[in-house]
Amino acid sequence: MAVGLVLDPTAKRADDIAHAGPDAGSLVGKRVGFRVDRMWRAWDWISELWAEKFREAGAEVVFWRSAGRSGDEGERCEREYKAFIESIDVAVVGLANCGSCTGWTVRDAITAANAGLPTTAIATANFETFAHEIAARGGRSGLRVHVLPYPLNEQLKDDVLPIGEAHFDGVLRTMGASLTAREKAA
Amino acid sequence: MTVELIRPGAHRAAPVLKPLVSRDCGPEGCEIDWLASRRHEAELDIESFTRFAGEQGWGDGLPLVPPTDARVRTFLSLNDRYPDEVIGALPGGVSCTVEKIVINAVMAGAPPESLELLIAMVASIADPDFELYGVNATTAPVYPAFVVNGPVRHQLDIPMSYGCLGGVPGISASTGRAIRLIMRNVAGQTTGGTSQTTFGSPGRIAGVVTGEWEEKSPWAPLGERRGVSGNAVTSFGTMGTMNVIDTTSHSARDFLEMVGKSYAYVGCNNFSGAVPFGEALIALNPICAEIVGREMPDIADVQEVLWKFASVDADYLNKQHRDQLEGQDRIRADGRVYAAPEPKDMLVFVAGGLGGLHAACFHTFGTSLSQTKPVASVTVAEHAQAAE
Repeated sequence: MAVGLVLDPTAKRADDIAHAGPDAGSLVGKRVGFRVDRMWRAWDWISELWAEKFREAGAEVVFWRSAGRSGDEGERCEREYKAFIESIDVAVVGLANCGSCTGWTVRDAITAANAGLPTTAIATANFETFAHEIAARGGRSGLRVHVLPYPLNEQLKDDVLPIGEAHFDGVLRTMGASLTAREKAA
Repeated sequence: MTVELIRPGAHRAAPVLKPLVSRDCGPEGCEIDWLASRRHEAELDIESFTRFAGEQGWGDGLPLVPPTDARVRTFLSLNDRYPDEVIGALPGGVSCTVEKIVINAVMAGAPPESLELLIAMVASIADPDFELYGVNATTAPVYPAFVVNGPVRHQLDIPMSYGCLGGVPGISASTGRAIRLIMRNVAGQTTGGTSQTTFGSPGRIAGVVTGEWEEKSPWAPLGERRGVSGNAVTSFGTMGTMNVIDTTSHSARDFLEMVGKSYAYVGCNNFSGAVPFGEALIALNPICAEIVGREMPDIADVQEVLWKFASVDADYLNKQHRDQLEGQDRIRADGRVYAAPEPKDMLVFVAGGLGGLHAACFHTFGTSLSQTKPVASVTVAEHAQAAE
């Protein structure tokens, strides 16, 4: 059997940032930005719930909603998102709950993380591994990903809100965030 | 009411054809090794290599041709491209070079004369407005379909008549397969990994590569209507192919009504609340096209009728779906939801066998917008010999 050399048909980027990026620290007095979308009402409900808790702790919370990512609409989104991440101190980016929306969630999270922001992507359990793979392909294998249960969007609001409550401490841990002023003072 | 309209990205520079530059990497070899890819030791018979490639995650399950240095150099030497030329950036920020295109083309069994077509195909799906990032990752079964215009159809013997969407032996299968391998190996699309496709599609093996039967079309070629005269390729992210039969209609309007209404099934992405906008691609057979063209010599009229009928009454949708679309301003004043924002977004081309009777619909993934790119002249060197 003849043995020889064959050329590798694959291509991958060589660089990677394996660390998670900076902790969010104390959220008191910080401007927290939620990236939401037009697909997942469950993410709207949970992000509003978490936003209210952040506000109660003294953070300012703003939202940006992703839309079409091609053509004129895509360019508008790109401009808006760039301005959005320049205007915030902490990014919470979701929701990775399907194939393409995980791709875009992670891509937007990487953009925020590459801008130096403490950044956490939010995924549902079925798309957790995928989110990490996409993050690694995008050059940030250490991207923070907080995982919500799946299926999520198929549930009623009354069932989704307790899930958001139950995950609040967890998302704070993933973000490296706290609601006290201690870190800020430090 | 504010309907989101489809406008191509304004910042995109017009494509520039690459000048023909060099034949440095001929089968005799190069003084400088232009091929930058890593080498792997492997058994070179097809069965062993296919098994090896499968273990590496390079393959699609079908037999693969080992991409040896000699085969890759021969392929390049028959064309006029430097292997390190970057054709586009693919998901993950990966640069797709001519070298990677050729390696995958060799593996797929595509002939050297297909290189310029392959380059144009890659350039089209690498355009940011094609949104390959979403196409690669989605739970949908989407894959690129390509419509080729210009003399290159004849030079490469691209099917445009009987069976043009699949099943004709020849270059469509191998070039379509090469693109699919590039999407796997360079763009990183692995099923169950970076692709979450729920069902996949038979089109994810070799895609769709069809010519437009321009000589049978009453209208200007699709590429020309999209700004690229002569040799051109148009990519469209399709969810598959859907056949429409009409053995009954006589008039242009009747045919188009049947096609438009058939296009508009409510479960397609065009009507999804998750998709802000989408185009439609429709192939009319030459017999039908002749009838339609006699009554409607202006393609804009054809698009207008198709657009009108490719719509559903909002009341046909259940409340949740209707509410979501209403919230997105997609229910028009006439109470209908349209598959595409405007008639111009109904893309039409002529192809298919002379038996007529059928049309083919391609449903959009969504915000993946069709792209038309020029195909450089096919100038395969005749003097070069196969190295193996």
